[in-house]
Amino acid sequence: MQIFKAYFKVIYKNLTQMLIYVGVFFALTLTLANTYENPAKTGFVGTKVNIAIINQDQDSILMSGLKDYLSKNANIVNIQDDTQKLQDALFFREIEYIVRLPKGFTEGLINNKEIKLEKTNVPDSTNAIYVDSLVNKYLNTVTTYINNMNGASHEQIVKYVKSDLDQTTEVKLKNTSNDISKNERCEFYFNFLAYSLFTILILGVGVVMMVFNNEDLKKRNFCSPKRLNNISFQLIFGNVSFAIIAWFIMVVASFIMFGSVMFSLRGVMFLVNSFVFAITALSISFLISNLIKSKNAMSAVSNVFSLGTGFISGVFVPQALLGKTVLTFASFTPTYWYVKSNNLITKMDNINMDNMAPVFANMLIMIGFAIAVLAVSLVYIKQKRMSK
Amino acid sequence: MFLHNFKYRIKCIVKDKQMMFWTLLFPIILATLFNLAFSNISSAEKFTKIKIGIVKDSDYNNNKDFVEFLESASNHKKDDHENKLFDIKYGSRLEAERLLEDGKVEGYIYFENGTKLVVKKSGIYQTIIKSVIDDYTQSISTIGTISKYSNGADKNILRESISNRVDYMKEVSTSRSAPNTTVNYFYTLIAMTCFYGGFLGLKEVTSIQANQSTQGARINVAPTHKLKMFFGSMLAATVIQIIDIILLLIYLMFILKVDFGNQVLFVLLTCIIGSITGVSFGTFIASIVKKGEGIKVGILIGFSMTMSFLSGLMYDKMKYIVNENAPILSYLNPVNLITDAFYSLYYYSDHKQYFIDISVLCLFPVVFSIITYFVLRRQRYANI
Repeated sequence: MQIFKAYFKVIYKNLTQMLIYVGVFFALTLTLANTYENPAKTGFVGTKVNIAIINQDQDSILMSGLKDYLSKNANIVNIQDDTQKLQDALFFREIEYIVRLPKGFTEGLINNKEIKLEKTNVPDSTNAIYVDSLVNKYLNTVTTYINNMNGASHEQIVKYVKSDLDQTTEVKLKNTSNDISKNERCEFYFNFLAYSLFTILILGVGVVMMVFNNEDLKKRNFCSPKRLNNISFQLIFGNVSFAIIAWFIMVVASFIMFGSVMFSLRGVMFLVNSFVFAITALSISFLISNLIKSKNAMSAVSNVFSLGTGFISGVFVPQALLGKTVLTFASFTPTYWYVKSNNLITKMDNINMDNMAPVFANMLIMIGFAIAVLAVSLVYIKQKRMSK
Repeated sequence: MFLHNFKYRIKCIVKDKQMMFWTLLFPIILATLFNLAFSNISSAEKFTKIKIGIVKDSDYNNNKDFVEFLESASNHKKDDHENKLFDIKYGSRLEAERLLEDGKVEGYIYFENGTKLVVKKSGIYQTIIKSVIDDYTQSISTIGTISKYSNGADKNILRESISNRVDYMKEVSTSRSAPNTTVNYFYTLIAMTCFYGGFLGLKEVTSIQANQSTQGARINVAPTHKLKMFFGSMLAATVIQIIDIILLLIYLMFILKVDFGNQVLFVLLTCIIGSITGVSFGTFIASIVKKGEGIKVGILIGFSMTMSFLSGLMYDKMKYIVNENAPILSYLNPVNLITDAFYSLYYYSDHKQYFIDISVLCLFPVVFSIITYFVLRRQRYANI
């Protein structure tokens, strides 16, 4: 097993670069696991949009009523009234909606004069439409009272409006046994794994194969008493073990971070899926390592390949948000099918053979990729040897 | 002699394939990937009709008023009937259940002692459905309260006045462009590319230092003035870097159509100063780190990636978080200053912030160059 041992000696010598990718992967996924919210909520919880209110009008009873109402249905974020600060907050979505009460607004409201509130928001966003409807609902209810109830004081009106707007509909949250938010985090972990694992495999396999493909070393190995078959077998064994070890190291943290998911059938599916992906990635790395001649080119190719497939296949941006053409293009890479399966596994309420069928189909596609790419590299190697 | 050096340094850089890949091709590839991945991302925020189901059974007929309300009041813009809030499907309870299960509707409504909503998760769409149903019951409550306290109010008139809604909101934009988060990724990418120019600076210093390269040793025994040599090298590196950046900029502006806010001259100025900063950062690292080239490159990548990360290359909100919690750090980070300069041009209506960024940014190459000069000058080697 000298060659097998030599394989891991080369890996060991070049470990630093690979460890950086492992480190970044764990740092990112760990941060994510720690921001995990308490899943204790069992009922329906309304979404609260982050808004800022700037009052340039007097502090009237009607307007503080509006503020109360909004604070119940949205998160009011305190940001000082500085144009640049507000703009920044809106750009980076710290807030999604700014309401400005202009001078004389309350006066205008009481006297039926049309003065409008000034809003600044992300154009056409769902959240903005919701906040629009909240503010309009409150103000319209107030004017209905002003117009139809002569002589009512503002305190009374605010009280009536409040009791009206406290009416709420019963919402039933369909009980699904699975904790969607945790599944989604787990999904992110496994999606992101595609990028990190792919890079590591290309770098690792690449650096070793480059050593063994070295012209002089190859000649020296060929005149050793080892049979060619044996050499090839040990190299293949080395490659496969390296892929399995890398895969194992990368997935093991998921048991600590998402224990409850990982020890269920869903977790098993994530694992199997990622394992099949690892084998496919290995096959591709093997082809790349045979095509590339220098170590510098290797780091360029590994970056472009893993980042490229990651971006178009939905590792960094969910597949649902990618364009159709991009996805069609991505379907020619195994990463696309891997991420697609992860999405399916995450969404499933209960896992049975029926709804697992597409996931297995995706795995078959990945295995198909692996076999096809391996065949290409074998043909390439054989041709190169024959041509000499 | 100066021109001769300059010409040959340019040749050396351009023929270094690996160098040209990282400083020119890689940013263009990354920009293409950003563009592929982000071109649809704002659609997540954009409103699309909410699909809901309504159970049509015996109780449904008793709630015709409500359904009518849902169908009519669901225009979120009064003058535009195309802009319905909901896309309603009718069916039996079982069908509705299945639609919800398959994710074909966000929620469904049924009537049983009032209006009930069934959803699968809590989210903004579900919240909107609930708020519209709430709206109906709240309006009924308003009518009830008014008729109770003011005698003789006509319910029909009341209903009329409630359904005649006034839109109190007026959209006011204080900024030059829409708050489109994705542009920041491209701006940070340019800033990162400026700092990849550091590789060029590093290469130039390495090839002039006698203990770093054989070429450096050869140059050191030549009778040419070192500063003159060095100046020629730096000029070559900077020129190539500026060309790289301008090519990237052309690609971003005309092929990917990234919005820079129509101020080409200011954008160019930022690129040029950014490039100079990047190249001088490379010479700075190369001169103060007394180790092999590999370690220098590692440190250079480490610094430029960390600075890019803090400016939002991987996560756009990072820039905001740093700016809010440690404003000093955002001024000490030249990558962020370049990003912020682009951002200010794109987003702010005045140039105040832009000029602050550019002025602070100009200090960096000056400091880097002075330090490089003092480290490199009069270097003598007893042996190598």
